[in-house]
Amino acid sequence: MAEEEKQNLFQLYRFCFLMVADATKAQEIFHATLRDAAQLAANGEAPRDRLWFFRDARWRCLEAGEQGLQAEDVDLEQDELADWAPSQIEKLEAEQFAIWIAGAPDPQRTALALFYLDEFSYRDLLSVTELKPPELSKLLCDGRRQFQAWLDATFPATQP
Amino acid sequence: MSAPQLSRKDKVLLHCAPLRDEHINDRALRTALHHARKTDVFAVQQNFDKAAAALVQSIPIPQEITEWIPPDTFIAPVRRPWKKYAQNPAFLATGIAVLVIAIIAVFQLVDRLNRFPGEPTARRLLTTASSTHAMMLDPVKTDAGALGDFLFMKHRLAHYDVPPEFAELKTLGCRVFDDEEGQRVVQVWVVEKKMQFFLFPAERDPKTGKAREFSGWRTIEQERWAGVAKEQNGVCFMAALRGSAKDLAPYISKKKD
Repeated sequence: MAEEEKQNLFQLYRFCFLMVADATKAQEIFHATLRDAAQLAANGEAPRDRLWFFRDARWRCLEAGEQGLQAEDVDLEQDELADWAPSQIEKLEAEQFAIWIAGAPDPQRTALALFYLDEFSYRDLLSVTELKPPELSKLLCDGRRQFQAWLDATFPATQP
Repeated sequence: MSAPQLSRKDKVLLHCAPLRDEHINDRALRTALHHARKTDVFAVQQNFDKAAAALVQSIPIPQEITEWIPPDTFIAPVRRPWKKYAQNPAFLATGIAVLVIAIIAVFQLVDRLNRFPGEPTARRLLTTASSTHAMMLDPVKTDAGALGDFLFMKHRLAHYDVPPEFAELKTLGCRVFDDEEGQRVVQVWVVEKKMQFFLFPAERDPKTGKAREFSGWRTIEQERWAGVAKEQNGVCFMAALRGSAKDLAPYISKKKD
């Protein structure tokens, strides 16, 4: 398997992790997705592109998420993005960020997870999330501001 | 720094702007990025996104995953639709070049198909036609079809016959002269449309001496003069007039015995 394809699969695992914030569940979903792809390939219907893996994993993640605790549908506080946000983010563990994303309602959860993988073009994002441009734009914009508010609440001392 | 005004569409796109340039493959997004590059707000957003993306890339990959990666690819080979090929500049340039070569080839083929033995002589005589006045010819007023006997009896020119398509036209004058190659040429002035006829020996094969035959009517055009030529019994006949080949088409399309 080519190195690029291997990296794609690592990104697929990271996507699963961001969506469920649980390494064990993420691995299960990752394996299930690959098994599905292998079966299709064996039947001569191999996935047409890498986006298929992320679409398949997305639905599995959402399905897995329905079994656990559900995020409450509340309007989260939003703050303007701050100059010092990068220093706040640097203090986080990846798992904390995954917990924050996994707690977001879908399709915002999918949009944020895919966007921060830094793996896809704008068109790819629209294709996997099945959103319209203004919808995707609003979800990402709101996600940033809500995350900034959470950062400000978590690391208040970093503000000047 | 004065922030440039961003349109609503630009703002929508900028919220989705990928971090890596290689992922920016949308023209509208590229334009929006161009507008926003120098704004502070966009710089803050990019820094925020870069930090978050770096955090995501720090997610460790469990050993079970790295060890489990299958050796085969599951993605079907990419089939590029023909539109993608057509938009490729290399294919586009090749396609245009092939098209131009094909057009030139067709023109040359048509030109070659229209060539006939004796064409150089016919072209020379078109020049002669353009510089001749009726006064230079001996007056001969008869049907063009009757000229064959006249030419045979007076000038001993055998088979110098006007084809049936032009035989009914009335003549005004006629002359016989030797061209620069020493060939006996007959020039006839006709009443209709100031048309001129030329009768001259068909081109001969230098080895066998036999006349090079060709079938049907052939058209030539030169400096606003047009001619239609036909070979019969070793003699070429050409009707010429000032105009285009279209002016002569009605005559040669007539079916005559």
